[in-house]
Amino acid sequence: MAIAHQFAYHKAATLDEAVEVLTRAGPTARVLAGGTDLVPWMRDDAVHPETVVDIKAIDALDEISLEGDHLYLGPLVTFSDLLTSELVADRLPILREMADTVASPGIRNRATVAGNICSAVPSCDAGPTLLVLEASVAVLGPNGARTVPIEEWFVGPRQTALEQGEVVTGLSIPIPDQPHGAIYLKLQRYEGEDLSQAGVTVLVTGNNVFRIAFGAVGPVPSRAHEIERFLAGRALSDGLIAEAQHLVLGAISPITDMRATREYRARICEVMLDRGLRAAVSRRDGNGPAYGTRLI
Amino acid sequence: MKLPINVTVNGETWPLDVEPNEILLDVLRNRVGAKGAKIGCERGDCGTCTILLDGRSVRSCLMLAVEADGHEITTIEGIPDNGVLSALQDLFISHNSFQCGFCAPGIVLGAHELLRDNPNPSRYDVQHALAGNLCRCTGYEPIIDAVLEAAGEDRS
Amino acid sequence: MTVTRQPFEAATPDDKLTYVGTSPPRIDGLDKVSGAARYVDDLDFGPDLLFAAVVETPHAHAIIKRIDTSRAEALPGVVKVVTGADFPFGFGLYMKDRYVFAQDRVRFVGEQVAAVVARDEGTAKRAVKLVDVEYEVLEPVFDPVFAASEDAPLLHPELKNYPHVPWFFPHNDTNIAHWRKTRKGDVEAAFAEADLVFEDTYTVPRYAHCAIEPHAVVSLYDRAGRLTMWSASQSPYTQRHVIAEALEPLGLTHQQIRVITPYVGGGFGGKAGVSMEIMGAALATAVQGHPVKLRFSREQEFYNTYQRQGLEARIKIGVTNDGTLTAIEHTMHWDAGAYVEYGANVVNAAGLSATGPYRVPNVKIDSLCIYTNLPPGGPYRGFGYSEFNFGLESHIDRIAHQLGMDPVEFRRKNAIVEGDTLSYGEKMNPSGLLECIDKVADAINWGTGEMSGDPNKVVGKGVALMWKAPAMPPNASSSSFLKFNEDGSINVTVSGMELGQGYLTVMAQIVGEVLAVPPEKIRVETPDTDRNPYEWQTVASHVTWGCGQAVEAAAIEAREKIFEVVHRVHGYEEDSLFLSKEAVRCTTDPDFELPLRDFVIAGIETADGSYRGGPIVGSGMFMPEFTSAKSDPETSQGGHPNVHYTVGAAGVVLEIDRQTGKMHVLRTALAVDAGKAINPDLVRGQIVGGLVQGLATVLYEDMRYDDNGRLLNPNFTDYKIPTSLDIPDEIIPIIVEVPQPDGPFGARGVGEHTMIPAAPMIANAVEDAVGVRIKSMPVTAEKVALSLWEGEN
Repeated sequence: MAIAHQFAYHKAATLDEAVEVLTRAGPTARVLAGGTDLVPWMRDDAVHPETVVDIKAIDALDEISLEGDHLYLGPLVTFSDLLTSELVADRLPILREMADTVASPGIRNRATVAGNICSAVPSCDAGPTLLVLEASVAVLGPNGARTVPIEEWFVGPRQTALEQGEVVTGLSIPIPDQPHGAIYLKLQRYEGEDLSQAGVTVLVTGNNVFRIAFGAVGPVPSRAHEIERFLAGRALSDGLIAEAQHLVLGAISPITDMRATREYRARICEVMLDRGLRAAVSRRDGNGPAYGTRLI
Repeated sequence: MKLPINVTVNGETWPLDVEPNEILLDVLRNRVGAKGAKIGCERGDCGTCTILLDGRSVRSCLMLAVEADGHEITTIEGIPDNGVLSALQDLFISHNSFQCGFCAPGIVLGAHELLRDNPNPSRYDVQHALAGNLCRCTGYEPIIDAVLEAAGEDRS
Repeated sequence: MTVTRQPFEAATPDDKLTYVGTSPPRIDGLDKVSGAARYVDDLDFGPDLLFAAVVETPHAHAIIKRIDTSRAEALPGVVKVVTGADFPFGFGLYMKDRYVFAQDRVRFVGEQVAAVVARDEGTAKRAVKLVDVEYEVLEPVFDPVFAASEDAPLLHPELKNYPHVPWFFPHNDTNIAHWRKTRKGDVEAAFAEADLVFEDTYTVPRYAHCAIEPHAVVSLYDRAGRLTMWSASQSPYTQRHVIAEALEPLGLTHQQIRVITPYVGGGFGGKAGVSMEIMGAALATAVQGHPVKLRFSREQEFYNTYQRQGLEARIKIGVTNDGTLTAIEHTMHWDAGAYVEYGANVVNAAGLSATGPYRVPNVKIDSLCIYTNLPPGGPYRGFGYSEFNFGLESHIDRIAHQLGMDPVEFRRKNAIVEGDTLSYGEKMNPSGLLECIDKVADAINWGTGEMSGDPNKVVGKGVALMWKAPAMPPNASSSSFLKFNEDGSINVTVSGMELGQGYLTVMAQIVGEVLAVPPEKIRVETPDTDRNPYEWQTVASHVTWGCGQAVEAAAIEAREKIFEVVHRVHGYEEDSLFLSKEAVRCTTDPDFELPLRDFVIAGIETADGSYRGGPIVGSGMFMPEFTSAKSDPETSQGGHPNVHYTVGAAGVVLEIDRQTGKMHVLRTALAVDAGKAINPDLVRGQIVGGLVQGLATVLYEDMRYDDNGRLLNPNFTDYKIPTSLDIPDEIIPIIVEVPQPDGPFGARGVGEHTMIPAAPMIANAVEDAVGVRIKSMPVTAEKVALSLWEGEN
């Protein structure tokens, strides 16, 4: 069945023009990048934008580049771009591991990383990983440019810090000190294309500083600061991991829905933390499983 | 308000006027006649509407037609070269890779993309590349076998 | 013609088969890989094609107080809005309990109450929202056991008035639409004497077929009053018949209705009978002269076509200490949904066969078809057997363990063999069940423990048996026409449906074998009821066996005509003639060779220049004249409801992550007794595909409803089917061939059977690996993990 409602389509030539049209068009206006969420949402009558602003004709928004000690992702960088970028493979293989779990090639070729966090469904795959990487989101709006730390980005299910008239102009990701190790574990019902039932990204740097974030087990992807503080500077041991696992319930707020029960999500998060911590450290130390190996 | 677009489908240029809310899949099927792209779920879950957009597989049910302006599209109808099936298509026939055949166009296109990008895929690579193209009939085995054999022939 | 003949009738006198038993690639393969294959939604109908959209109720149970279509009718582009008042006609395959559109009452969320026909899809979709319906909401009922009780609200007060086939037994003024009782021996006495009696309950949820092609129908009621329907269907003739019966008040007759079925994108039972197509037919009559397309969305595909019915099964089995099954009591409460016109026959089939493939002297089966306020149940690959086999084969495993017997040995000891008495009194047909068991056990190294390389993981093994008979009316029949072309090629017309199983190819092989013509020179196409002869339906795994006999008969008739004309011209005795390599030859004259292409159209020239013979055609039909559905309603004794059973066995080596419950099939084997595999590769295709579909029902899928009866997962996001990464590492298909005496070349059907053993074999392997017994499907990773954790606490 077709999209039933009519809307105006605007192909912006510049980001400024996109902002201008978005501002003028009012609160229902939507940015169209990959469209892999927006188009089916329109078909399902879940959203009814009066204006759709396509930003794909704007030059150079699909670049992945190194800016000092930061990796920059343009707002049109797709998950496939993450998978094929040598820069990503070299500097932040965790992004590649995460991208590899997203949907399937036909979606990854189109879906953007920025779009993933703009849709902001609780299970979004980019969320936990960008959280542990402490990315910041560059935004342009009617009042000019601003930067939103990723931890302030997710406001609620399908709600972000993006304000009316604003468009994401890029993601800036600080590259952690070497050596570091990281892992994204995603519990899925299916090994093939599936949404996350629960996910965790763990990152550890050389001095045993841990960063941990969970996805799909709360209204927004979120950092587990208490667990991070507990682990900070300590060497992993079975006992330490077991104690850290006791802190998981305090870090997440899973619900029972179509995809899993609250109980299962909670318990699996403990399992994933265990496996994630061990794998992140072993990767840091150069003897871990290759990036892309599925550990759950 | 109708918008003029130019799309190249299987090498032919199509000037079309489309409404902003028209889905690319519907336009390909109803205005261009490329019926090989099928309607299966209309939300990007099944992959039977797969086309190649500038050489890369995409879900045509997740694109507005207007987004295709200026792009090159290949559908299943564009895969045979002057009517000659690709080696992969021949292997899909000899392996009985499809039963009802409704998923076939998407899988043929997805497999072509895989073999172009990765001429030497492992079994897992094939499974991973086709994991968004649902097939209810075959259990996938004869599909995977044909793709691996096609890769093997390329190597030899 | 009909034919009485011996099995293995071959084209050549030495009984050597040329095409049957070989695996030519499927004859529709090129169409499908090239994009040439056309499905209903791919056909073009020109600029006057109209589009229909359905107004659906949000209530599971309600009275319709009022429908106001005026706002929808006022929308520009809307051509017609219809409601139940326009079509007050009941319909149904086995029991007429459905309506084209809801009349005074709706019985499931999503039921059609009205429809809009518009010039484009978007307008139709918008207009649907402008149809105002006022309801009085009633108490719904979802639990079949409660629904069968006296306290439940009555969903079909008119049940007593519904016409139905004579083998259904509705209980008036209840929600029990049909109750199949099968009684043999004395179960109570047997339980009293048994050394061990074990009883438990198993539950099976609803499942969706998930053919990748959604239902679609284009209907044209032309200005001359003919209704032509292009339908994505397994059942063109049954559609014509059911629709002709239902729309008879509009003046439509069988002759005035034509159903054309191009390629269909998967069926699995979901496109059998008539579901949404009745709306297409009715809407066409409302917009005479315009073709109208009704294509279901994926969501509608889930909630308003047939679903596999849910089941709660209570099983009680008695055994002696030596491992002999002495009695089974199997009580099945089926959640049949809002309408049971087709689903009641699923219940019936299970009620006749829920002993499984075992020799059991004392049997008591109660199979209750119960109305609930969920979508209509209906046929799904396995037709009742997949459903009851989960509990039964789980229970068999558990009894073996309690007896201290090896589960394979226990099954072997009690496996049914040829000549054993079935529950309804008839004798079991020839079968290779024991061979299937042995080969499967061998393939999975039964009896040998296996270890996982991952310390978090353990490995278990499980087996399960299966059987299934086609569930058909006693007069379900098939027919075929055949004609030669100038070049010696052949066209065969049949009305069985190519669903992907390879039916067209198999029919070509059978004809090719009889007439010594290679299958690639035989064209078999999909049906058109104006041109192709009658076929009941492509369901029940019966077309290879049933329609195969019809095409074989047509080919034999043609062959007899060939021999007759050769005899007339050349004088050879007809019984000395045979066909080989597209030519007629003679056992008494090795030099004689007359190519078919020389005479099958033109005839044979005689010495005086005149011709004998002419176009060679053949016709054939088949009906299982030995069956009868008449039996004692209290015992099911006295009839012969089933033509034969196909049997088999399956086994699995399953790896389980103890921490997450996640399961991975390392190896699985399935053996099925195909009688004779006419095309072994296609049989293997059915085994692999069916096993994966069966594994999906146990490992992943189930339909989830909220407390108001709304389906929560009507999409492939949350009712996903396995992807290419969700298949076993290794699948071992095993074909056993104990001939079916009346089958074409000894063949019997295998299409549905291959998914039947999957669910219990997984449940059995889970218990073997981690010691927990899951008694409700699906056996998901989550359920396994929660059970393990429960055990820890």
